[in-house]
Amino acid sequence: MQKDYSILEHPSDLGIEAQGSSLIEAFQNAATALMSIILDLKTVTATECRHITVSAIDEEQLLVKWLSEILYVYDGQRFACSEFNIAELDRTHLEASVRGEMFLETKHRPKLDVKAVTYHQLSVKENDNKWIVRVFFDI
Amino acid sequence: MLKKLDNYRHLIPKSYKQGMRIDGMIYADDELIKQIEKDLTKEQVANVATLPGLVGRSLAMPDAHQGYGFCIGGVAAADVDEGIVSAGGVGFDINCGVRLLSTPFEVDGIRAKLEQLINQLFRDIPCGTGRKGLLEVTKSELDKVLINGAQWAITNNYGDDKDIARIEEYGKIPDADPSLVSRRAKDRGQHQLGTLGSGNHFLEIQVVDEIYEPEVASKFGLHHNQIVVLIHSGSRGLGHQVCTDYLDMMQNGMKKYGISVVDRQLACVPIKSVEGQNYLKAMAASANFAFANRQMITHWTREAFKRILGRGDLKIVYDVCHNIAKYENHDVDGSQKRLLVHRKGATRAFPKNHPALPDDLRDVGQPVLIPGSMGTCSYVLVGTDKAMKETFGSSCHGAGRAMSRTQAKKETSADQLLNEMKSKGIYVRGESRSGLTEEKPDAYKDVSRVVEVVHGAGIARKVAKMLPLAVMKG
Repeated sequence: MQKDYSILEHPSDLGIEAQGSSLIEAFQNAATALMSIILDLKTVTATECRHITVSAIDEEQLLVKWLSEILYVYDGQRFACSEFNIAELDRTHLEASVRGEMFLETKHRPKLDVKAVTYHQLSVKENDNKWIVRVFFDI
Repeated sequence: MLKKLDNYRHLIPKSYKQGMRIDGMIYADDELIKQIEKDLTKEQVANVATLPGLVGRSLAMPDAHQGYGFCIGGVAAADVDEGIVSAGGVGFDINCGVRLLSTPFEVDGIRAKLEQLINQLFRDIPCGTGRKGLLEVTKSELDKVLINGAQWAITNNYGDDKDIARIEEYGKIPDADPSLVSRRAKDRGQHQLGTLGSGNHFLEIQVVDEIYEPEVASKFGLHHNQIVVLIHSGSRGLGHQVCTDYLDMMQNGMKKYGISVVDRQLACVPIKSVEGQNYLKAMAASANFAFANRQMITHWTREAFKRILGRGDLKIVYDVCHNIAKYENHDVDGSQKRLLVHRKGATRAFPKNHPALPDDLRDVGQPVLIPGSMGTCSYVLVGTDKAMKETFGSSCHGAGRAMSRTQAKKETSADQLLNEMKSKGIYVRGESRSGLTEEKPDAYKDVSRVVEVVHGAGIARKVAKMLPLAVMKG
């Protein structure tokens, strides 16, 4: 999977801009960006798989809900994902399998607590066959 | 255009932006307004003023900075019959707040044991990213936490009954309904009860350095050279998920009520709607989780003091919420109205004689706790009548960020920062080195300047200033 994202500044928090040649790839890269803010992904071995299904009213909310779900899986179920494979994606629905392992204080290196995914300056855009998504996190 | 009214007040007239229903007001001096104008704070104050059913003005305190939807440091009050409630107007960290503990110790008596003390606190209070709490409660026990807040903690031997009177809302916001808190939120909260968290959350041992109003300070139980402890924490993942869930619900619910907003993060629904009521009941539950959390941290702080210094009889000076929406009565255009006051990074600052205050604070007013950034000073203020008239009984909540996290990290290394703190005689224990630099003192506005503005504008009065001696960061 292509890793293609950058970190955006915010006076108190952090954002990301992720790109991809398809919307699926951009969403996958956004998920990688989120988890790489939270912990050192090099310390995660992708041994287990989980399925994620999300529905929303539009693409932008779908992005928020997709990333919120990954955050919940980490913070609520203590499952750290490092690989993201979106099987189906349309404007309002997404189905994915994510791979990772249960969080272990002794093995993994957490970097930053992300509290939530926000709607601040949220955007999902296509330009010359390239998809760019932008989203900010509450830290 | 901003209209400067006096040295502390800048008006954003309704004409500033299409759709504004009320004026906006930023409390700041000439220097702070320059900093505030560097980001989107002013636009966000104006955007809030477009929401339906707000009364008075859309306010920003002098520590304001850009947030999401609402600015951080924002206050907005809605008429309960015609107004809206916004999950984003409370924020993700529901009832993030601060608690100040007074101790029977003076600085000279404990200086030699300070390092030992902060190390003990660091061992006893879980903090940092990815850390579990010491106590994992069952889901049914968690429901009791969500209903009873700090009172749950006290029933379970984390503190004593006297603590309750010195907590905003007596440590328990009524009408909390755990059944309206999602399983997801409970999953996140279940293993985080009794944890400090990370980011800007901290526990600091401080010394009272200056007293401005001796009589009020004495009523608060504070005196010169006294050791105090300031705790900053919130509702952890549980509150974050509740906000996420209801923000989502409000996105979908707005259409039903014919509401449109200029920024999706401002999503809101009528207070009286089923969705609005459900959010407020889930918010109350999250706020209660935060009260219980700070109560447990207080207990372990007392235990650590007892172990290292032989006495653990620390008293709560007060505990205030920073991120909350509350039903309150306020005077609007000469008549008393029932309002829902959103405080997003702002502190309640009720004056003397307010019925919400406990008997022993009734003749002085509510303590308002203002933490500074790491290594700088913090303040205790007292609420005023003027705050009731102008700001729905609200004041600032801290220094307010002035620099992004990435910028802060670029400019200073953890070693540099630790050396700087050491040279000031401040012990710092931090779980994360990069987390430390993100919270470096100059990443924030000057807290003393912020406090001078609220004091000068009369929306709180200075009572005491504290200096840090030892800091524990997540």
